[in-house]
Amino acid sequence: MSAPLILAVPSKGRLQDDAAAVFAIAGLPLVSGATRSYRGRIESLPNVEVAYLSAPEIAREIAAGSVHAGITGADQVAESADGRATLSLPLGFGRCDVVVAVPEPWLDVETMEDLDDVAASFRPTHGRRLTVATKYINVTRRFFAGHGIADYRIVESLGATEGAPASGAADLIVDITSTGATLRANGLKIVSDGVILRSEAHLVASKAIRWSAGQKQAYAAVVAKLKAAV
Amino acid sequence: MTDKPGKLPALFAGAGYKYVELPIVYPARVFVELAGEELRRQLYLTSADGGEELALRPDFTIPVTLNHLAAGAATRKAGYSYLGPVFRLRPGETGEFIQAGVESLGRRDAIAADADMLKLAFDAAALFGIKKPKVRIGDSALFAALLDSLDLSAPWRERLARAFGDTPRLKRFIANADGTSEPPHSEFAGADVATVRAAVAEHFAATGLGEGGGRTADEIAARFVAKAELARGIPKRAAGALTAFVRIAGTPAKSLAALRKLAEREGLDLDAALAAFERRIDAFAAHRIDVDALAFAADFGRRLDYYTGFVFEFPSRGNGPLIGGGRYDRMTAHVGDGKVAVPAVGFSVWLDRIDKVGKR
Repeated sequence: MSAPLILAVPSKGRLQDDAAAVFAIAGLPLVSGATRSYRGRIESLPNVEVAYLSAPEIAREIAAGSVHAGITGADQVAESADGRATLSLPLGFGRCDVVVAVPEPWLDVETMEDLDDVAASFRPTHGRRLTVATKYINVTRRFFAGHGIADYRIVESLGATEGAPASGAADLIVDITSTGATLRANGLKIVSDGVILRSEAHLVASKAIRWSAGQKQAYAAVVAKLKAAV
Repeated sequence: MTDKPGKLPALFAGAGYKYVELPIVYPARVFVELAGEELRRQLYLTSADGGEELALRPDFTIPVTLNHLAAGAATRKAGYSYLGPVFRLRPGETGEFIQAGVESLGRRDAIAADADMLKLAFDAAALFGIKKPKVRIGDSALFAALLDSLDLSAPWRERLARAFGDTPRLKRFIANADGTSEPPHSEFAGADVATVRAAVAEHFAATGLGEGGGRTADEIAARFVAKAELARGIPKRAAGALTAFVRIAGTPAKSLAALRKLAEREGLDLDAALAAFERRIDAFAAHRIDVDALAFAADFGRRLDYYTGFVFEFPSRGNGPLIGGGRYDRMTAHVGDGKVAVPAVGFSVWLDRIDKVGKR
């Protein structure tokens, strides 16, 4: 048999459950491997091998061309696989927005233009640059550059980004939110034109790997079945 | 590479610049604090044993300045030259490339220093067989003088100053400054600083966020009130003058005449900046630079806020300049502990680009 299509699927949490449900509805139930739990298969598609990875890893592996396709958020693709992946199909779950959020007491800041003014005058007053905590480093740089904002510094956040302003780790954040409740609980508000992207889980294909005819065929079958299901 | 780059240190030494060998690895914050997040994404980063973020030098200007400040009184006069690799992530070009150049610090005769610099850049280009380059020149001091002489509120003056060097953005600001696009804040409209300050303090208390090392209630309230000025926009007359200014381009002589005409028509006091511009052009001519071959553009400048006046560029046919230079009087005040502003001017030769041109 020729080399299989490697399809990466989320390995934990809500995304894993939702992805498994979509495959089941599409008549492609995922079967976990007997010996290696991080590998699986699809009964009716023998030419597909399933790799279980975290959502951020899936985007990185797609960008690196070490898997053909996978299920991950559009936010992860924008951060780690920009230009190296095709969003084949939105799947209707894992919805979240990537937003710019500032401390709610910043009554003078409503727009990105305000934030630009604040960033530019920050260093002369405070002797350091305005800091932004985020896991979305590339997304943030692109969005801020698009708004002409240069006077800031990113502080890479490895978890609980929304707590950074309260702990003093950063002045503001770029993070995901679905209802905004967590942001509000942390005393933060979304900048009015600061919604960077509206994300949901997608079936994503890598542009960085060689596709054989058989792999293309197998992928087309997966896309068609999932499309009918969502 | 040809053997031509090797001739640059001798040229620079002959002009009185002392060759310096500098470290390649620096704390990343040195570059990020100075040039911002935009530069950071071009940096090759690594970390030290203790976790400190380090970067390979992305240019020589910052290392040379640090070296100058570390070795003696900031304001002393000194000229340095360098040749070596710099490192930047550049799409479509190699990440490690060679630059050579000079930096002059502490000279008080700014006009003469600017002219010496441009002359030396022409001599460097000639080493690579570049005979009649179409050199672009600009002068942000002219724009600064224009902003000072126009009827603008402080928040608008700051916005416009910051957009210099990014003309599409500057034009967008001018178009949006008609007083219609920015509605005043509904809550506390027309309130004074004390009232707003009290409201901000309440919000701080309610959210449990401390002012910490971040923005204070005073700062937020002051800017809140200043926003009313932004909402009022800028006078039509000022917008017209700004639009006319950014369009001015051509030979230095023609541009100078156009700038004088604009100043006269609008009743603007640009005398000092224009006189300096003219003296600089005369100094170029005294160095036998063909001034009519220089392409001035009133909107040409660098967005980095430590560049303060004269800038120039030898353009390539492809990406980026062959030689880029300018005056950066504000840098020493921004780096390290150097609180003193030291006059500084210099240029860098992008050897990977210029050496290819020389071969053709």
